[in-house]
Amino acid sequence: MFRLMLVTFKGIVRDRVLHGVGALSLFFILIPSISSLSMRQVVELSTTLSLSFISLILLVLATLLGSTLLWKDMERRYTFSVLSLPIGRAAYLLGKYLTVSLFVFIVSGILTLAAVIVINVSSGMYPPDRPVSWSFIVLCILFDAMKSLILISFAFLFSTVSTSLFLPVFGTLAVYFAGNASQQVYEYITAGGGSQLPSIIKGAATVLYYFLPNFSSFNLKTYAIYGVQPNFQSLWYVTAYFIVYTAIILVCASIIFCRKEMN
Amino acid sequence: MKTKISILFVLILLYSIIIIPFTHYMKERPFVEKMGYLPANDALKFLSADQKQAVGASLILKVLMYFGGQVSSKDIEVKATIDYKAMSRTIHSALHLDPYNLDGYYFAQAILVWDVKQYQVANTLLQYGMKYRTWDWYLPFFAGFNYAYFLHDYPNAAKMYMRAGELSGEPLFKKLAGRYLQQGGQTAMAIAYLSTMEKGARDKSIRESFHLRIIAFKRALLIEKAQGRFIADHGQRPSAIQDLVLAGYLKEIPVDPYGGKFYLEPDGSVNTTSKFAFAGVMNH
Repeated sequence: MFRLMLVTFKGIVRDRVLHGVGALSLFFILIPSISSLSMRQVVELSTTLSLSFISLILLVLATLLGSTLLWKDMERRYTFSVLSLPIGRAAYLLGKYLTVSLFVFIVSGILTLAAVIVINVSSGMYPPDRPVSWSFIVLCILFDAMKSLILISFAFLFSTVSTSLFLPVFGTLAVYFAGNASQQVYEYITAGGGSQLPSIIKGAATVLYYFLPNFSSFNLKTYAIYGVQPNFQSLWYVTAYFIVYTAIILVCASIIFCRKEMN
Repeated sequence: MKTKISILFVLILLYSIIIIPFTHYMKERPFVEKMGYLPANDALKFLSADQKQAVGASLILKVLMYFGGQVSSKDIEVKATIDYKAMSRTIHSALHLDPYNLDGYYFAQAILVWDVKQYQVANTLLQYGMKYRTWDWYLPFFAGFNYAYFLHDYPNAAKMYMRAGELSGEPLFKKLAGRYLQQGGQTAMAIAYLSTMEKGARDKSIRESFHLRIIAFKRALLIEKAQGRFIADHGQRPSAIQDLVLAGYLKEIPVDPYGGKFYLEPDGSVNTTSKFAFAGVMNH
């Protein structure tokens, strides 16, 4: 499995994904000058833009890498040669997933470094009223990376059921939007906003709430930008939720992948 | 090959003809068109996914750039047609997305309170912000001023200034709370408030806007002082500012920098037809 991971990682690097991320990261250079347009919160705006940009890059990476990696192997029939080796299909899928996850973490680390430099430059130019919460910023990016890993697991799941690239790409994007809205919709319906709705719709929305990933819990931007302390105990719940939820999706993906007929 | 180059040449020519009126049209579009029609707040929240803070900040920056572009104009009529209400709606949407964004509250207080004159709306917005920015003395400082100066609600003004004093540890706010309770010296108080705001303003257009308002209030204060001397000497109020000039208490009637004309209210207070805002000139 280690060799599989190594080959997959080399493949990602060969595809110049890192080059693409590097080119996109040039946007970081612009952040201090854009932030200086703020009236009262230059450093907070720098942090907002840095974190949003990192979220966006991780979303693109999760959608594209997650959707294409497995799909491409099946499309080019590479899986046949790999699966003839003494490695199970589930291990093959898990190896691929772990490689993309490792890659996402490495990219997150590089982008965190860039964000720290940018925020430091802004706070040097315009000292903030409150000290920058570096630990919350790192925590925010870590949870953003965890969110991307859930998205990648969905992309893998969609890749195992679809022969076309459309379902993995658009399915993952749909999960991203639904996962970000699920908490809001659930609260609206349960807090009385949905009293006019038929009970079947309310029931369906509640089922969907438990079924879809809850990405709101991974969004720590407010804490990182404004230095507001998060509830650390709840973050342990979120971490446990991430591990269990991702495991469920990956097991589903591997069950389908193991039963898939590959001609 | 020659034909393709000729076609390319013609297309570039057409582009250079179109680009000037096109750029002019884009620059002159009304604010709502420049911003794009914003969807309802809840829909906007849904569409912003996990980028709510970034979307909120970009809306506020758009408002600031629009306002900066308008106030840099020398034409008073252009300044008077600034779409304050659309700006107000956009700021509300931005703060709905990110209730922590201080720029939104600051802009609303610095510009919209004076020009749109929705003081109660502004204070509701500030109290909404206080629930989130629990450490910030700026918001009770703004709300305290609105209560005292615009709404004449002195007990609430004092309460807000006490809160600002507790959060900042500045004894100045507690002193201000005491002075607001006395209800006097409104114009002098406004000048003191605006001067504090001007010192902290980083954005050029906002700073200039404070500066202009301070000039207007200083001129109103000049009339108030002349009126005070007139009453002390004659035992009665002058019927118009012109009387102060004729009696030698003022060299001339001060010019309102907003394009309006100063006058005396029946209760003797000094006001201007512009209501200390460019929008006031058009409304009048």
